Amino acid sequence: MTNILEVQGIHTFIGRYHILQGVDVSVPEGSITALLGRNGAGKTTTLKSVLGLRSVREGSILFDGKPVHGMRSFDIAALGIGFVPEHRAIFRDLSVEENLKIAERHKGDLANKRDFIFDLFPDLKKFLAMPGLSLSGGQQQMLAIARALIADNRLLLIDEPSEGLAPVIIEHMISVIRQLSKKSTVLLVEQNFLVASKLAEYYVIIEEGRSVKAGKMSDLVNDRAAIHQYLGAA
Amino acid sequence: MKPFFRRNSMLLISLLVLIALFAFAGRGMGSKDFVITMLRGLSVGAVTFLVASGFSLIFGLLDVLNLAQGTLYMIGAYIGWTMYIRPDTFMDLVPLLALMVSGFALNGVWNIVVGHIHLNPKVQRIIPWTLIALSLALFAIILPKYPIAIWDLNNYAQSPVTYSFMADQGTRLPVTPAVFSQISPFLAFGGLLLASMLFAFAVSLFGHAAQAQGRLKVKNFVPLAIVLIVAMVGYVFNNTLTNFFLGMDTTVLFLISVLVAALSGAALGGLMETVLIRPLYSRPIYQLMLTIGLSAIGVQIVQAIWGRNEFIMPKPSLFAGSGGACPASSLASWLQNHCSTIWLLGGRVRVYDEIFIPLVGIIVLIAVWILLKRTRLGMVIRAGVQDREMVEALGINVRRVFTMVFALGVGLATFGGSLAAPSTGLSNAMGESLLLSALIALAIGGLTSYPGAALGSLLVGFIQQFIIKYGQIGIPIPFTDIVFKPSPPIVPASTVLLMVIVLLILPHGLLGKKE
Amino acid sequence: MLKTRISFFREQRNPIILLLITLALPFIIGIFEGSSPLMVWANQGSISKFIEGLGIEIFILALYALSFDLIFGVTGLLSFGHAMFFAVGAYLTGIALKTLGLPLYAVIGLVFVAAIVQAVLFGLVLPRVKGITFALVTLGMASVFHIVVMSSDVANYTGGDVGLQGVVVPAFINPAIERLRFYFIALIILFLAYWLYKVFVSSPTGRVCVAIRENEDRAKMLGYNTFKFKLAALMLASITAAFAGTLHALYQPVISPTIADLGFTVTALLIVLIGGVGTLSGAVIGALVYRLLDFVLRRYIGASASLVTGAIYVAFVLFIPYGIMGTWQLKKWAWKEGIQRLLRLFQVKPEEGEPKPQQSK
Repeated sequence: MTNILEVQGIHTFIGRYHILQGVDVSVPEGSITALLGRNGAGKTTTLKSVLGLRSVREGSILFDGKPVHGMRSFDIAALGIGFVPEHRAIFRDLSVEENLKIAERHKGDLANKRDFIFDLFPDLKKFLAMPGLSLSGGQQQMLAIARALIADNRLLLIDEPSEGLAPVIIEHMISVIRQLSKKSTVLLVEQNFLVASKLAEYYVIIEEGRSVKAGKMSDLVNDRAAIHQYLGAA
Repeated sequence: MKPFFRRNSMLLISLLVLIALFAFAGRGMGSKDFVITMLRGLSVGAVTFLVASGFSLIFGLLDVLNLAQGTLYMIGAYIGWTMYIRPDTFMDLVPLLALMVSGFALNGVWNIVVGHIHLNPKVQRIIPWTLIALSLALFAIILPKYPIAIWDLNNYAQSPVTYSFMADQGTRLPVTPAVFSQISPFLAFGGLLLASMLFAFAVSLFGHAAQAQGRLKVKNFVPLAIVLIVAMVGYVFNNTLTNFFLGMDTTVLFLISVLVAALSGAALGGLMETVLIRPLYSRPIYQLMLTIGLSAIGVQIVQAIWGRNEFIMPKPSLFAGSGGACPASSLASWLQNHCSTIWLLGGRVRVYDEIFIPLVGIIVLIAVWILLKRTRLGMVIRAGVQDREMVEALGINVRRVFTMVFALGVGLATFGGSLAAPSTGLSNAMGESLLLSALIALAIGGLTSYPGAALGSLLVGFIQQFIIKYGQIGIPIPFTDIVFKPSPPIVPASTVLLMVIVLLILPHGLLGKKE
Repeated sequence: MLKTRISFFREQRNPIILLLITLALPFIIGIFEGSSPLMVWANQGSISKFIEGLGIEIFILALYALSFDLIFGVTGLLSFGHAMFFAVGAYLTGIALKTLGLPLYAVIGLVFVAAIVQAVLFGLVLPRVKGITFALVTLGMASVFHIVVMSSDVANYTGGDVGLQGVVVPAFINPAIERLRFYFIALIILFLAYWLYKVFVSSPTGRVCVAIRENEDRAKMLGYNTFKFKLAALMLASITAAFAGTLHALYQPVISPTIADLGFTVTALLIVLIGGVGTLSGAVIGALVYRLLDFVLRRYIGASASLVTGAIYVAFVLFIPYGIMGTWQLKKWAWKEGIQRLLRLFQVKPEEGEPKPQQSK
């Protein structure tokens, strides 16, 4: 199996703060990989660095074998990377339909994906004409994921999908992400270790801007010491 | 429904108070005065809106306070005037300007070429500057020798003032066409082309971060071809076109002038954004200083080219009729005689100032509204106002949208300037006062809200005109015999006061979004 | 005590040297034009008198820009109404001397009170509006003041759009007669203000102001009542600007209403940006550069001076973004770094590929 995304030793600055100080992430094609770590460890920055939203000063990022670091972020995204950001970033003034339509890379993307998306998220169909700001948190999360599915993305970067959601909705989310991973590769940032362990095959732990541990999720689940050391959770 | 009222209670109360204020103000004067004042307010509001809406679009998406907007409005007026009164000057400028921007038409090519060049950093730093110096030197050699038929500021008989006056009287001064005498046209054209190419190439060398995308295609050369064709047509058919414009009905010529002003504004805006504003996105306060500096430069350029004197722009024939049947008593009669004024509800109304301008304002309002609400570009703009980064993460080239919005915003301002010129005349100070009005209008309406810009402009227009009217008829102060007559300086003060009050009650303006 | 005093002089070495040079400047100029120090002392040298005049204008401008730098550069409040602070001081001084006939010390007291009042006025809106809205509200208040000053209703007091003329300046500091004395007074006021500002910025209160500029929410979360600190900065700035206005009224034969308009606030903004935002010393250097530039351009280019000035500003913005002092501070660091590298070159090879630490304030 090849790696669709290969992040090698990246250093990223935000302003004058040296946030990432050497992060390596390999994402095998077709897998779900989770980035784990404490708050402020640099997980979100890693995702944003991949997309070129944060400028990477050193190291390299290969998407599908081609270097993408230093490219303009919209060019990177157009290669086939979908992004579901933390706090969803739904466009509040746009209707639900427009929120989906804006993600089109070719005319008719939305029409082609319509059935697929409404099968996954039946709720969205009801609210198509409503403005984005009227949706509940869970619905916004659905919309954010749906938005990343409109274009044919081979890699989905999903940041904190379970944050602030009710347990029932989290269950739904898990099943949705599982379904998605059949079509595209998923790189996930997740605080909730339970959710991450249910979903991911592989993990990378980031601590203080460095990737410190990586491997198969099935191994980590049994490694209580590591979980305690890096994640502070049981 | 209930939460809507509760959430917007302050807004509703403010609106009610404002409406009550206007109703009260209206009661103090006759219906004739009221109608005229309302229409004048509408007219001022419409012009303010054109500047304010551009300002608001630019600020909303780009976070750039374009304080040069007022100056650009003024420049629009002067460009419109030039096309309208001196088409010969304009025609002489067409090939010149086309050649000067021809280099930028090849931007796509330069980017690809730059992407394939790998130099050592030191050389890469020196080369662009050398090229720019070279290009400026070429311009400096050629431009003074390039012939342009232009007015003479030092000679009153050939000054813009006189030309305007003559045009208003229906006669035109004979103009002597400019001919290439100091330099051969081909040398001039070739030199300009080369200088422009060098300049544009140097500029794209600065932005070397952009990576090469693909190879050169025929498509990349299309803009250059268009520019060159324009230049050649402008040169070869110079006299034919000049005479064609001069022989044209002034209404059509006026429409062309307004269009030319709007398009030059858009081009100017695009250039401003790509060359000057873009390097400064990470330093907002410097953008502010930049636009202030540009504003000062703009005023100086206008003074150098068109002089310091105020002059008029004659109204197009459609609105300039006079004679026995005027003022027109009905729409039908106006259509027949094209009177400059018309009787409306007992008041004598200037058709161009008080009916045409508000009408155009409303049309633009709707057109831009449709652009924002119904097109993909509009969707991207609305999304980008909220979250630029996310739009980029969707794979959309936000930078190009930035340039387009800046061009649109500046285009609206220059359009407004050329539209207002026949009504207000042209002066070096026209931009400054309008910028203040537009800022006030935006603060009242909500800085980044498009409907807010419309509402704010309307309020500013109404209040200004009502105060002016009351300055003439006086306000009887209740229970006393004193009649208070506000003096003219109170007009701007009143709108400023309204702004301060509105902002203290609703910090985001009437229709602004809460954070 | 002595130790702190010594360390103060060491820290402020450059400003003190500059102060001494500036104090001596009229005499040095006098020597060049051939008038002895005694003649200069008696206000007889014409060129030195002229230079003194230019100097006074620069000091007043510097004082005004300094106060703007305190609220904009240090505290991070963008006010478009700063000219009002200055103009209130100037007009109040003019009117109090001319119409009310008050003695100078009473005028100074009056200006002081007025300065506090207007700072409180600006402060009233602070909790409600932020960022660009604050700029617009302050612009609004200042515009109202400008309009009132210009209006014909109060022209008897303010001189309307012609400006306030005929202010009788007390003889002992009359700039026409006692120019040198005025020069020294203005210079010393400027130096004291600069010193006071330096002390303020490095005091705990000043540090909180800087924290507010960097991130107001964080400062709030740390438990600071940011409103109080912003108000304190506003008051200090208002008092300084108002006294700059007083000096202006005493020095200039006409108090023109242009000192109350937006353009004059922009002047402060430009000076501060030229000198370097938030550096304080930049405000003084910026005022010097601005005034001299203006003087030279007007003299040699004439009418289109502001075209060149505008172009210079644009060039400044694009190429010297941190201003003169800001860039100098950055470069000073780069210089040291360069020298160190040079030294290391002879001993060990510098480590390659290590990310450069960012310069911090």
